[in-house]
Amino acid sequence: MTDGNNQLDGWFERYRAACPDVDPTPNFMPELWAKIESRRSFAFTFERLAKPLMTVLGAICALLLVLNLAGVGQTPLAAGSYADALAADSSAERTYYTEAIRDNPTGFQAPAELRHAHSR
Amino acid sequence: MLIEQELIERARTGDAGAFNQVVLAYRKRILGTISRLIGRPEDVEDVAQEVFVRLYYSLDQLRTAEVFEPWLYRLTVNASYDYLRRIKRRSESRMADLSEHQVMMADSVAGGRQEDDEKQKGKVREFMEALFRHVSEEDRLLLTLKEVEGLSLKELESIYGAKENALKVRLFRARQRVLKAYATAKEAGTL
Repeated sequence: MTDGNNQLDGWFERYRAACPDVDPTPNFMPELWAKIESRRSFAFTFERLAKPLMTVLGAICALLLVLNLAGVGQTPLAAGSYADALAADSSAERTYYTEAIRDNPTGFQAPAELRHAHSR
Repeated sequence: MLIEQELIERARTGDAGAFNQVVLAYRKRILGTISRLIGRPEDVEDVAQEVFVRLYYSLDQLRTAEVFEPWLYRLTVNASYDYLRRIKRRSESRMADLSEHQVMMADSVAGGRQEDDEKQKGKVREFMEALFRHVSEEDRLLLTLKEVEGLSLKELESIYGAKENALKVRLFRARQRVLKAYATAKEAGTL
C-alpha cells in the first residue's frame, strides 16, 4: 500500500508540473463584465416581472378568500340545525342499495293437499 | 493576501473599480488553480469568469474581508465542481475504463522516459484525467487541492468548513479509491 501511495504522490507531482500556467487572454475582463451585466439584466427582468405577478396573485388570493367567506353564510348546512342537515342528507334519493321483498323468501312450497287443507 | 482589505471592503459596497482591481490581482492564481482542478486548458478561462461572476454577486454576503481568500477558493471549487459534473454528464457515453494505452502511460509517467517534454506533459495530463474519471468529482477536487495545489489542511478546513480529522479521513479514502481504480484497470487484462 505504501508503494501505491508513493506511486500516487509521484503522479500528483508530475501532474502539477504538467499543468501549464494559464495566462488570461485580452478578452478576459471585457467578457467577464459582459457576463456580469447579462446576469444583472436577467435578474433585473425577473425582479421586474416578479413584483407585479406577486401583486396580482395576492389580489386573486384575497378575492377568493372574500368569496369563500361570503359563500359560507349562504349554505343550508350552516343555516339549519344538525338534525335538519341529517334529515336532508338521508333523503330517498340517497338510497343506493335496494332489495326485492318477497312473501316467501326461502322459496319453500308446501305440498298441494296441505295448501288446500289450509285454505279450507 | 494579494490585496489590501480596504479594497475588498470597497468592492463589497459595489465599487466596480475596486472589484476590477480584485479580479486583476487574483485572476492568474485562480486560472492556475482551475487549470489543475479541471485539467482542460480550453475551458479554464470560462470557469474562471464564472467564479468572478459569482464573486461579484456574493460579495455582500462576505462576513469580513479577512476570509476573502477561502471564500474565493470555495467559489472556485464550486464552479469547478459544477463544470466537472456538466462535462461528466455530456461525455458519460464516451467513458470507458483506462485503456491499455493509458495504463502503459502510467509506467511511462512513473519511469520518466526521455521524450519530448511537452508530449510527456500531455501524456501525464491525459493519464491523470483518465484516472480522475474513475473517482467522484468531490474526490478529484479534494485530492487536487491537497496534493497538486499544495493547500494545507488548515486552508482546506476553511474552504470546506470541515474539521481537520474529517478531512484526513476523506483524503485517505479518496487516495484509496484512486489506487483501487488504477488497480482495477490494470487487472482488467491490460498488464
